[in-house]
Amino acid sequence: MADITPSLLALQLMTGIALGAVYALLALGLSLIFGMLTVVNFAHGAFFMVGAFLGVYFLGLTGSFWFSLLLTPLAVGAVGLVAERFLVRPLYGRGIDYPLLLTFGLSYVMIEAMRVAFGIEGVATSTPAELRGAVNLGFGFFPLYRLFLIGATAVVVLGLWLFIEKTRFGLIIRAGSRDPEIVRVLGIDISKVWLLVFGLGTAIAGLSGVLAAPTRAVNPEMGISVLAESFVVTVVGGMGSLPGAVVAGLLVGIVFSMTSLFAPDLAELSIFVLMALVLLIKPQGFFGKAGLMS
Amino acid sequence: MDISRTLNLIARHRVGAVIACLLVFPLVMPYEALAINILIFGLYAVGFNLLFGYTGMLSFGHAAFLGVGSYLCGIAIVSGGWPWWAAIAAGVAASAAVGVVIGYLAIRTRGIYFSMVTLALGQIVYYAFYKAERWTGGENGLRGIRVETIQLLGWQLNFVDPLTKYYVILAFVAAALWLVSRILNSPFGAVIEAIRENEKRTAACGYDVARAKLLVFVLSAAICGLAGALRALHLSIVPIDSLHYLQSGQAVMMCLLGGMGSFFGPFIGAAVFLYLEDVATSFTSHWMAVVGLIFMVFVLFFPRGIWGSLMHGLKRHGLGKEAAS
Amino acid sequence: MSSGTPILEVENVTQRFGNFVALNQVSVAFQPGKLTAIIGPNGAGKSTFFNVLSGAFAPTSGRVRFQGRDITGLAQHEFARIGIAKSFQITNVFKQLSAHENVRVAAQMREARFELLRPRASLRSLIDKADHLLERVGLAALRDKTAADLAHGQQRALEIAMALASDPVLLLMDEPTAGMSPEETTVMMGLISALAAERTLVLVEHKMKLVMGLCERLIVLHHGEFLAEGTPDEIRNNAHVRRVYLGEG
Repeated sequence: MADITPSLLALQLMTGIALGAVYALLALGLSLIFGMLTVVNFAHGAFFMVGAFLGVYFLGLTGSFWFSLLLTPLAVGAVGLVAERFLVRPLYGRGIDYPLLLTFGLSYVMIEAMRVAFGIEGVATSTPAELRGAVNLGFGFFPLYRLFLIGATAVVVLGLWLFIEKTRFGLIIRAGSRDPEIVRVLGIDISKVWLLVFGLGTAIAGLSGVLAAPTRAVNPEMGISVLAESFVVTVVGGMGSLPGAVVAGLLVGIVFSMTSLFAPDLAELSIFVLMALVLLIKPQGFFGKAGLMS
Repeated sequence: MDISRTLNLIARHRVGAVIACLLVFPLVMPYEALAINILIFGLYAVGFNLLFGYTGMLSFGHAAFLGVGSYLCGIAIVSGGWPWWAAIAAGVAASAAVGVVIGYLAIRTRGIYFSMVTLALGQIVYYAFYKAERWTGGENGLRGIRVETIQLLGWQLNFVDPLTKYYVILAFVAAALWLVSRILNSPFGAVIEAIRENEKRTAACGYDVARAKLLVFVLSAAICGLAGALRALHLSIVPIDSLHYLQSGQAVMMCLLGGMGSFFGPFIGAAVFLYLEDVATSFTSHWMAVVGLIFMVFVLFFPRGIWGSLMHGLKRHGLGKEAAS
Repeated sequence: MSSGTPILEVENVTQRFGNFVALNQVSVAFQPGKLTAIIGPNGAGKSTFFNVLSGAFAPTSGRVRFQGRDITGLAQHEFARIGIAKSFQITNVFKQLSAHENVRVAAQMREARFELLRPRASLRSLIDKADHLLERVGLAALRDKTAADLAHGQQRALEIAMALASDPVLLLMDEPTAGMSPEETTVMMGLISALAAERTLVLVEHKMKLVMGLCERLIVLHHGEFLAEGTPDEIRNNAHVRRVYLGEG
């Protein structure tokens, strides 16, 4: 039996935070889309997966991790824009289930598309050269890349917060998520807003994919379980809540990571059990609005 | 018009109509295994449709019930040595029990949120069965569910013969269909349709909506559990993917394809889906993309599904009003 | 001036939505057998008050009593069962069901809620009851029409039929004549008068003319607070009320 020392715990906690960072970004994108469009994007895991593939692809193409980090979310967001404009938009006003159903079908096509483009085995990934190695955190050595992951996520979250709180478009997002009618009455084309928010949400999913790629196996099926995991995060944090997405993302990552240390077989199960508990005690999630439930 | 009278006749005797079609079905299908698959997944879709099409609750976790039905039936036979009919009962009972738990938790949420939550709760069952290797075989699934001869109503039947297998399974499916039809025609059937139409209004009328939802959820789970148990007997194995949410998605697709909220729709959807899959996979390996595209096309342009669009078209010409439901 | 136990009363009811106070310490008693209207200028809190009375949600604080029994926080579906029925301000029927089925389902609550195996067509008493109620509100000829295809006034009449289906002793109606033509309004007024003779009715209305001629008691709300109560004549001559209404232009 390995000794569980405080350092080991601290390192495992850091691993959990790195994992949680990816979850937080995923949940942010999901909540953004839901809060504004009232659409649950069942293709969110697929966008994450496409982001991972394109990240590796652009890295190979440009030789620069930083370029791929910039290009990938733009490319994925572009796919999101097209999807919203031609596939999701026709369904507004039809019934809340329809966009969900559509994105589910879309995920199938996206998965198969990546199989055709990159092969069914997936692609090999490696940590970018600049970010290899480990950093001494005092209580142990921690991979530099994961530290970067946490930092990058923090920057993105901060940027998103500034964007939503301080810009005019962000104001529209805040107003529109509470009452789409108001936005329309003010003469703003709500369909353009929805288009951009969907693009933004999927771009963030793509970003989380390219950031996560060096830390896991990149294959066409990688988004399938990720979708379920991002649902867990949004239930725990509260659907439509951006602070909730971040807090719950980190929490879920930590729960997974710590459970892996003590009972590795139960790690995947543990986060779903967490969700079940939240459903029992506070079904709207930690930061969710009670009106959404009951 | 003759068409109208025929359609109304079919609608009034819908269970009989479906059974009549299913009786001759094996003669129409290229091979019995496909016909059996359609029976099983048709029942799966019918069970799911009770919740989705009639009550308006989109669950993405119904694979849990198909899978639990399969696994518990299989485990009862392999580990418990139970007779086949008791194993089926075990599968149905277990699915209903899981239905109570998942239903209770999921019904605390509404609308789209419900779909997310059911997906995630279904995954709990998936991971739990994946890890419980000793009982379930883990990644490799449960194997060795051998049922060779069965005693049914005094007859000794050779279950290995595909045609016999088909008709035995049909007997169960027919019984389940009869039950579903009774439920839909009952006072409770009216309540769940009211919930689909307007939940708030239903509560204002004095109905305990949460209780009604839980009841239909459990009924739906039990029917899907029966489909699962029958599947275990048919395949002699239970693949772990039976529990994965993609299997849940398949039920959704079949129902939409065929026509949700109608009695004939789910079976038609299952038949078309599985037949298409059988045909398509023989000359392309990209079946997933084909399914996704077809599904998106239906969501966008034919949300009523095959049967629903057909009935809608006929209704516009003043025919077959009853058959539409 | 009360004659025995009020059929419905609220005591110090306050309703807060976040920082906004919609109702502030409102105490009102409704007498059985009377036709009472809740009136007040826009923003008076009438709709919120109606929601509290009809059980849409529990008040932030305060108590609600029905026939002497405390029903604060009672679940929505219990209201119809104990004898309080309501009709909504924005028509809220089962759009894809026929008019007859709308009423039949409402009536079914009293008899066979969760029965699984009996065909509904065999419950003749419910079918007859639904037909009778449809006739009462003047919709007998439209029994098989889909509710969504009914005219606005007909849908409102359908709502009334559905509310009556649960045999309520207290009927709450939120702006029953909203969006109706003058002819439809007259028909509705007749129906309300007839109903008032047999059970307790409480209306929320903002059409003063209607209310003055029809109701026995008026309760005036203003800015979420209780302002005045009395007969139409008393209210007409009430200085506070006149100031509030005339002041609003």
